[in-house]
Amino acid sequence: MENTNKSKVEKGLDLIETSLMASGLVVGIIFGFVLQRGRFCMNSAFRDIILMKEYTLLKAVALAIVVQMIGFHLLATLGYIELYPKTFYWGAMIFGGFIFGIGMVLAAGCASGTTYRVGEGMMGSFVALLGLMIGGLITSGGALKDLKSYLQPSEGALKAITTDNPGPYLGNANLTLANVFGLDPWIFVVIIAIIILAVLIWKRGGSEETKTEGTAYEKIFKRGWNWWVTGIAIGIIGIIAFIAYKKYALGISGGWFGFLEALITPDHDKLNWFTFLVIGVVIGAAVAAVIAGEFKLRAPNARRLLQQFIGGLIMGIGAVIGTACNIGHILSGVPQLALSSILGGIFIVLGCWVAAYIMFMRG
Amino acid sequence: MSSDVKPTETLDVRGEVCPYPDVKTQKKLKKMKSGEILEVLLDYPLSAERIPRSVEKLGHEVLKTEKTGTGEWRILIKAK
Repeated sequence: MENTNKSKVEKGLDLIETSLMASGLVVGIIFGFVLQRGRFCMNSAFRDIILMKEYTLLKAVALAIVVQMIGFHLLATLGYIELYPKTFYWGAMIFGGFIFGIGMVLAAGCASGTTYRVGEGMMGSFVALLGLMIGGLITSGGALKDLKSYLQPSEGALKAITTDNPGPYLGNANLTLANVFGLDPWIFVVIIAIIILAVLIWKRGGSEETKTEGTAYEKIFKRGWNWWVTGIAIGIIGIIAFIAYKKYALGISGGWFGFLEALITPDHDKLNWFTFLVIGVVIGAAVAAVIAGEFKLRAPNARRLLQQFIGGLIMGIGAVIGTACNIGHILSGVPQLALSSILGGIFIVLGCWVAAYIMFMRG
Repeated sequence: MSSDVKPTETLDVRGEVCPYPDVKTQKKLKKMKSGEILEVLLDYPLSAERIPRSVEKLGHEVLKTEKTGTGEWRILIKAK
């Protein structure tokens, strides 16, 4: 009797688990489709500011952050979700973020850019992804484990800083812009949103608008999207991800670490929601690329492949030490006003700029 | 397809990854004389959209951007 009941409960839990994983796959497919259509890559977004004074993708990133910041706080205020800012290990955020930024320039794509380009058929991105997974695993449980514990210690100067008074909407005691200042999160949400939107409206138009001719079908499936379409779409997907997964919004690197771990060990528990999400991203991007006539298996020369692999490796190390990649920090953490993600994000950008300067701008 | 303008030089960056198509295009244009035409062949979607934008900002004239095949583009630029 007891056994039957137990198995029913277990079956129920399995069903919930399965549908949760399925939701990851579905959200991932939509996310991948939008990433490919919008060419959404933070490596390009940040690097191009200094390299070619190009702000198109930066605008998309900024708009996605605003949409999510409002969406997350609205959902939290209504009681649908709690926010989960990442732990504030300041040394780990600075070091991990900085090397992640360097890695993504070498890899020719951030975690999300690399993932969607695998779906476009770019072999260099596939190699970078292998590097990312390996780099992640050697840092979480392999040769670089000690470096991680040194930068994420439980005692000493580098230990996590938390708060006794987290304020509203949070599911943990981690630092946010709001609770550090002891103010209502909405004050920051409104101020940041107004500033970003004002700049975007002020700087609108110009050459950054893609010339859109043709039917609606062609605009959606055949041409690259305008930055504002991409920004709003990514923002909405992030909000859907938070509703689906409950404990966080979008993330990329953690999903790939789980994927490799599940491959090399019999431990299928390592397959997490984000693993299904990233597999979905590759599928969604491939579908988008095939429809647009942009799917092509292509590879750069061997030297470049090696450069991308090393870049991926560094990204993986940086993502584990810094506790998230560009998506986990900048796209999902910053809209939660997480201090960890703001610091990590700043150093991702700085690492990107230093590497871009050395690689492309000297001489 | 290519009966229009005769390019002075051709830059084939097919296979190259972000942002090498853009960087190599700009470097090449810098070396070219005013009025000369550069043909860029590439297969990286983001650069196919970004190169026309960024070289126009630098004062060069984009004569044509065309999709020449699955995942391949050809851009004609007149150096300033």
